[in-house]
Amino acid sequence: MNKTINLTLKIWRQKDRSDKGRFETTPARDISTDMSFLEMLDVVNERLTLEGREPIAFEHDCREGICGSCGTMVNGRAHGPLKGTSLCQLHMRHFKDGDTLTIEPWRARAFPVIKDLVVDRSAYDRIIQAGGYVSVNTGSAPEANTLPVPPELAEKAMDAAACIGCGACVAACPNASAMLFVSAKISQLALLPQGRPEADRRALAMVRAMDACGFGNCSNHRECENACPKEISIANIARLNREFLHAGFISHET
Amino acid sequence: MRLDAKIPAGPLAQKWDRHRFETKLVNPANRRKYSILVVGTGLAGASASASLAELGYDVKTFCIHDSPRRAHSIAAQGGINAAKNYPNDGDSIWRLFYDTVKGGDFRAREANVYRLAQVSNAIIDQCTAQGVPFAREYGGLLANRSFGGAQLSRTFYARGQTGQQLLLGAYSAMMRQAAAGRVHLFPRREMLDLVVVNGQARGIVARNLLTGEIERHAGHAVLLCTGGYGNVYFLSTNAKACNVTATYRAYKRGAFFANPCFTQIHPTCIPVHGTYQSKLTLMSESLRNDGRVWVPKTPGDKRAPTEIPEAERDYFLERKYPSFGNLVPRDVASRNAKEQCDQGKGVGDTGLAVYLDFADAIQRDGKATIAKKYGNLFQMYEKITGDDPYRTPMMIYPAVHYTMGGLWVDYNLMSTVPGLFVLGEANFSDHGANRLGASALMQGLADGYFVIPATIGGYLAGTRFEAVTTGDAGFADAERQVAEQTRRLLSIGGKRTVDDFHRQLGLTMWDHCGMSRTNAGLERARAVIRELRAEFWRDVRVPGSAADLNQSLEKAGRVADFMEFAELMVLDALARQESCGGHFNEAFQTEENEARRDDQNFCHVAAWEFTGEGRDPNLHKEPLSFENVQLTQRSYK
Amino acid sequence: MNWLTAALGSSVGKKLMMALTGLAFIGFLAAHLAGNLLMIAGREAFNGYAERLQSLGPILQLFRAGLIGFALVHILTGLYLFLQNRKARPVRYEKDTSAGGRTISSRTMPYTGLLILAFVVFHLFHFTWTDKGARTIFDLVAAAFNQPWAVLLYAAAMIVVALHVRHGFWSAFQSVGASHPKTMPAVMALSWTAGGLVAFGFGLLPFFMLIRY
Repeated sequence: MNKTINLTLKIWRQKDRSDKGRFETTPARDISTDMSFLEMLDVVNERLTLEGREPIAFEHDCREGICGSCGTMVNGRAHGPLKGTSLCQLHMRHFKDGDTLTIEPWRARAFPVIKDLVVDRSAYDRIIQAGGYVSVNTGSAPEANTLPVPPELAEKAMDAAACIGCGACVAACPNASAMLFVSAKISQLALLPQGRPEADRRALAMVRAMDACGFGNCSNHRECENACPKEISIANIARLNREFLHAGFISHET
Repeated sequence: MRLDAKIPAGPLAQKWDRHRFETKLVNPANRRKYSILVVGTGLAGASASASLAELGYDVKTFCIHDSPRRAHSIAAQGGINAAKNYPNDGDSIWRLFYDTVKGGDFRAREANVYRLAQVSNAIIDQCTAQGVPFAREYGGLLANRSFGGAQLSRTFYARGQTGQQLLLGAYSAMMRQAAAGRVHLFPRREMLDLVVVNGQARGIVARNLLTGEIERHAGHAVLLCTGGYGNVYFLSTNAKACNVTATYRAYKRGAFFANPCFTQIHPTCIPVHGTYQSKLTLMSESLRNDGRVWVPKTPGDKRAPTEIPEAERDYFLERKYPSFGNLVPRDVASRNAKEQCDQGKGVGDTGLAVYLDFADAIQRDGKATIAKKYGNLFQMYEKITGDDPYRTPMMIYPAVHYTMGGLWVDYNLMSTVPGLFVLGEANFSDHGANRLGASALMQGLADGYFVIPATIGGYLAGTRFEAVTTGDAGFADAERQVAEQTRRLLSIGGKRTVDDFHRQLGLTMWDHCGMSRTNAGLERARAVIRELRAEFWRDVRVPGSAADLNQSLEKAGRVADFMEFAELMVLDALARQESCGGHFNEAFQTEENEARRDDQNFCHVAAWEFTGEGRDPNLHKEPLSFENVQLTQRSYK
Repeated sequence: MNWLTAALGSSVGKKLMMALTGLAFIGFLAAHLAGNLLMIAGREAFNGYAERLQSLGPILQLFRAGLIGFALVHILTGLYLFLQNRKARPVRYEKDTSAGGRTISSRTMPYTGLLILAFVVFHLFHFTWTDKGARTIFDLVAAAFNQPWAVLLYAAAMIVVALHVRHGFWSAFQSVGASHPKTMPAVMALSWTAGGLVAFGFGLLPFFMLIRY
C-alpha cells in the first residue's frame, strides 16, 4: 500500500505583507503516499533549508484537524480535494504520481497574506469579540441540570459548534463571505437556552462586526459548506438570517 | 531552601474553604491597578484571563498562535470529569479525589487533589452556562460516560471534541473581556524570558513572531499557562508548537522544576508508520469502553486479523486484569502493549502495534450505535491510515501524550519565584505520577476559573511592589540574552536542520526515558544528549532572518531548550530509584511486572533548582504525607 | 428610523431587500405569465384581458410605480453587492475549482440580472412604449413574433430569466431565513419548477405565435 510519488508544486511565495508575491515551482520528490499533506511540505522545507533557501511558511499546529491553524488552496480547492477534511488530515494517497499542485494562500481582503501561505485571520477574533459568547461571569452559573436542553437541539448546537475557525468557508466562497463562520457561532448559541437571552444583541453585533471586516456578502453559492472540513451546513446561515431579521426588525435591540 | 507547599491546616474537606477565608482580598477598586500577564491561551490561560478580568484586574494575555482559540487543549477528545454523581452510581467528591490520588500512584498532594475534586462540579455548571453543547440524555439532562480507569460514569463530553468545546467556551469568555477592554490580547507572541526584579516575577520578554521584535511587558504577576513538554520526544500527540521554552526559561530564572520524568504514554494512538512522520494522533481512550485489545497468541503471526480464530487471540488486558479489563489506567495499558510487542506479538508492518477490535461491540450493539459513539474517531482513523475500523480492527500503539511534571507550585499555584504562578499542564500538577483520563481538562479549568482568582489576591494584597518599568535593567538584560541566542542560532549555518536534531533527541528520549527505563539506558541517554546538544550548537542550520516571520528560528529556539531540558528529565528519572505511574524503571517491578513504588524513600516531589549553565541542578524534596488515604499497591485485577 | 437603516444597510439586510423584491418579481412573472397564456386562447381572450387590465387605471399605475421602485432597489442593491463582493477578494485565485456548491445559475446572477434589465428595457420599448396605432395588443405581439429574430431573442432571454429565477427563488428563502433542512428539498424543487415555468411558459409563446399566426 505504501508507495512513493513525485509531484511538482506551484506554490505562492510572498516575503511579507507589502511584497507583491509570485508563484514558484519546486519539486516534491519521493513522497510516501502515507504522508499527510503537511508532512509533504515538511519534506520540501527540509530540502529547501539544506539548499540554503528559505522554507515555505505555512500555518499548522495540531495536525489532527481540530485547531484550525492550517489551510491553503490546493488546485483551487480549500483544504484540497477531499470533502470534510482539513489539510493536515489530507493524505498523499489522494494524489497521483506526476501531479502538479497549485498551492495558494486563502484570498480575501479580510485575510491579508502575511507571508507565503500564512494569512491574517484576526477578523474572526474581532467577530467573536463582538458577541460570540454568553455573558456569564465565573462562579455565577446555575447548577448545570437546571435548564434541560432537548438532545436534538444540543446535537444541532454541537454540529454548529464544531467549527474550527480555519477560514476555509471564506476562502472557498466566490464572494469571500464569512457567513458560514458567523452563522455557526450564532446558531450554536441561539439554539441553546443558555444563549437565548442575548440572541438578538449577539446577532446584530456579530453581523455588524463581520461587515466591518470587509468580507463579501452571501450569495448562497454553497461553496462554504462543501469546503468546510467540519461540514457545517448552510442551514446555519438561514438561522443567522432569521436571528438577525428578528433582532433587527422585531426585537428591542438597536 | 525548604519547600513550603502552604497547605492549609484543618480537615481535608475544609482546607479550601478555610484557605479562601484566610486569604487576603484585593479591594475591587484597586484591582485594576494590578496588571497580570497571562502566557498561553489553552484551558488554563483562557479561563484565568477571563476570570481575573471579570474580577477587575488588568490582564495582558499572550499566545503563540494567530488566534487565542487554537491552543492544544482543543484537541482533547474524551471528556471532563466531575463528581456530580448524576448517574447515581456511587460517585462523590471523595471518590473522585481518591481515584485521582490512586491513579496518580500516590505521588500527588492530597490537599490539591481534594480541591480539584471539590471545584469539579462548578466547572460543569460554568461551561454549561457558557453554551458548551455537552451530550444530553433524552430528557434533556446532561449525559455521562465512563472513561479510562474509572468504574463509574463521571465524564461529561461533547462528542469526541470536548476539549474543543471547553476551550472555545473559555476563549469566548475571554473575548468578552477583551471587548470590555479588560483583557489585552497579544497573539503571535512567544515568551522567551521571565523578568525577575528584586526577587519578584515582574514581567516577560516576548518575541513578536511576525516582526521579530523583542517586546518587554511588565506586570505585578506572571501566570504561565504554557502546557506540557511532551514534544521533547519529537513524536507525541502534542501539537507541533507545544514546547518547554516558557517553563524552562522560568526554571533558569529560579522556578523549581518538579518531577520532570513523569510523562504519560497514552495507550491508544495510531502507530508510527514512517520516518517522515511529524506527529502522532491519539484515538480517544473512550474507544476502550467498547473496543477489545488483543494480539495473536503466536509471535510473528502475520495473518490478517480477521483470519485469526478466536482461540488464537490473546485479549491480554482482559486476561490479566479481569475486573478492569480494557479499562485499566493509561500507564498500565501502555506498558502491557509494549510488553506484548517486545515478545514479538506486535502486529502491523513494524510489529509495533496491537489490535483494538470493535467486531464484538458492532455485533452486540449494531453498527449504528457504534457509529454514533465513535463515528468521528473511526472516520479520522480511516483518513490517516486508509483502513476502515468497522471492518478490520484498529491498530494502536502507545505514544507520549501528557506530562505530569512541570514547574513546582504551592497550594496557591505559585512557583518558587514570588509572583510567578503556573497553571494547567505547565505546573507539576495534581496528577502525581500518572493522570487519569478526563482529568486534564478538569485541572486546567479548575486552576483558571476557580483556584487562581482566589489565590492571586492573597499574593497581590500581601506584597509590597516597587515601581517597575520596562526600561529597567532586568528587562534590558533579558532582552539582550534573548537577542544573543537568536543571533547565535542564525549565525551557525551548519549542515543539519532543526527537525533533524529534534528527531534524534526524541528517539533517544523514547528509547531510554520513555515507557520503561533502566539506569544504564538513562546514563547513556544523558551522554547522548550532551553530545547532541554540542553538535546542535555547532552544526544546526537556521535559515532566514530575525526580523520577520521565521518558523525555523522559532523551532530552533524551542529545540535548544528541549536539548537542555531532556537532560533534566533524565536526571530526575535517575534520581527516582523506584517505579511509579508513568515512570517505570525496570529494576523496580513486582513479579507481575507492575510498577513497584518505594514509599519509604521516594514519597516526595522532586523539585530541581537551576544552578548555572553546565552545572548539575540541585534536588529539593517536598515530602508527601497522606493522612486521608492509605498508600497501597495499585491493583486493577 | 436609525434602526431600520442599520438593519437594512447590513449585509443581511441588503440580502433581505434582494430577496423580497426578487420574490415580488417572481409574483409579477407568475401573473404576467398567466395573462400571456391567454394568447393561446386567441385574440379576443387576450385583448379582453389587456383591456380589463388597462381599466384598472390608478391601481395599475400604482402597481407600475411599485414595480419600478422594486426594480430600482433590486438593481441598485444588487450592483452594490456585486461590487462589494468583487472588492472582498482583490487578488483572484490562480486556480479556482468548485467544491460542488456553485451552479451556472448561482455564478451568473449579476450578469443574468443585467441582461434581464437590458431585455426588460427592450421589451418595454417593443410592446409598451411603442406607437400601437390602431392595432390591438394581440396584433402587435403577433406581428412582432412573425419575425424569427424576435422569437429567438425572446426565447434566449427567457433562458436567462429562468437561470436567474432558478437560483433567486430558493436563495430568497434562504436570505429571509425561511429555509430549513426539512423544507429545503421542496424549496429547491419549487425553484427548479419556477425556472422551468418561466423558460417554457414565456419561452414557447413566441414560437406558438410564430407558427400559429
